Amino acid sequence: MELAYLAAGFGAGITTIGAAVGIGMIGKSAMEGSARQPEASGDIRTSMLISAAFIEGVALFGQVVCIILALS
Amino acid sequence: MMKQLLRVLLINLVLVTGVAVVSNAESGGENRIDLIGKVVDHYYLDFKPLATVELPRLIYDNGRVHVYRSTTSLLNKSERFTDAGYIDAEPVIQNGKIKPATYQVVRTDGTSPQFDFSITSHLVFFWVAALLTFLIFIPLSLKYRKGIGRSSEPRGAFQNIFETLVVFIRDEIALQNIGPQKYLTFTPYLLTVFFFILFMNFFGLMPWGVSSTADITVTAVLALFTFATTQIFATRDHWKHVFWFPGVPVPIKFILMPVELIGLFTKPFALCIRLFANMASGKILIMAILGTIFIFSDLFGPGVAYGTSWVWVFLTLFVYLIKALVSFIQAYVFTILSALFIGLAVADHGEEHAH
Repeated sequence: MELAYLAAGFGAGITTIGAAVGIGMIGKSAMEGSARQPEASGDIRTSMLISAAFIEGVALFGQVVCIILALS
Repeated sequence: MMKQLLRVLLINLVLVTGVAVVSNAESGGENRIDLIGKVVDHYYLDFKPLATVELPRLIYDNGRVHVYRSTTSLLNKSERFTDAGYIDAEPVIQNGKIKPATYQVVRTDGTSPQFDFSITSHLVFFWVAALLTFLIFIPLSLKYRKGIGRSSEPRGAFQNIFETLVVFIRDEIALQNIGPQKYLTFTPYLLTVFFFILFMNFFGLMPWGVSSTADITVTAVLALFTFATTQIFATRDHWKHVFWFPGVPVPIKFILMPVELIGLFTKPFALCIRLFANMASGKILIMAILGTIFIFSDLFGPGVAYGTSWVWVFLTLFVYLIKALVSFIQAYVFTILSALFIGLAVADHGEEHAH
């Protein structure tokens, strides 16, 4: 029971690291892209949001598992 | 002068809020903020200092519908329960004081009744948001049908505000992701979804309001609509890509088939979880930050809690602003991903292959 809490805490942290790395990389490339080609920044922002949403979705799956662990 | 006055006012406001919260904590364990109660759905509308409105309870079991005006009346009419033979009420939260409005109905043997159609706070705000969507957009569409805004300039602040958003959804989301041939078929759906989610999210930012999108059933139904739209309007190409992926060797086709088939269902599932988790986490975060005051009060005494409460209250304000941003972004993301999934399904791939 206590181990489940520990696992939930660790799991939430690790998921957040993964999501942070992913979204950070997207942000980096998007900024580079729009700095090199400012006229395409609108399109870049849209695709940035979409890919960030996908990464966020995966991270949220992990978080939901952690919440279920903590509440079980 | 004005600026100084404003600053003093702001500091006072923050201090008073902090003190109010802490003094609530000191008056014994029972009156503490019920963190989970603020986040989950419940059977009453909370207008805290003014009133608490209990909502009707509707329980369907074994062909009979049991209707009660409120949870309290349900608890008072316990004879009628034994009449029905098997229904009893059980509190949801067992710590400290239990409000009657949090009671969940169970049978005497502990199992839950077949259907609990009880009206909850999430449902009420779901209806309010739906009504608001209707009330705003049906007059607006009638206006456009008459020609105002199409052949002439849009008239009035109301129409101007919403026209920018509507045009944004049509041109930036529908047209970009679905393509010029078919985007007009799906624009009404995308507009409805966007504004409905936006209104539901914004109700969570209002005092006493609840965001219905922080309920997984609401987001699941919304995701189901996107899923159904995607599958109903899917072209033959879409199914070909699912079951017999063109342009790859035959062994790979067998590997790709289950992957694509699972992908069909994970897309709406992710939509559902994403919206739910984003909206629920905002609530939990605010409650957790406010809870720090109580933790400080327990650890270092009430004095430290008084002194540092303004930090947490300001942090809550910051989180609140982020929540406002997130409620807009999530409505946008839900709409754009719906458009993307629909666009992938209805696209006529023809000879050129995007992937």
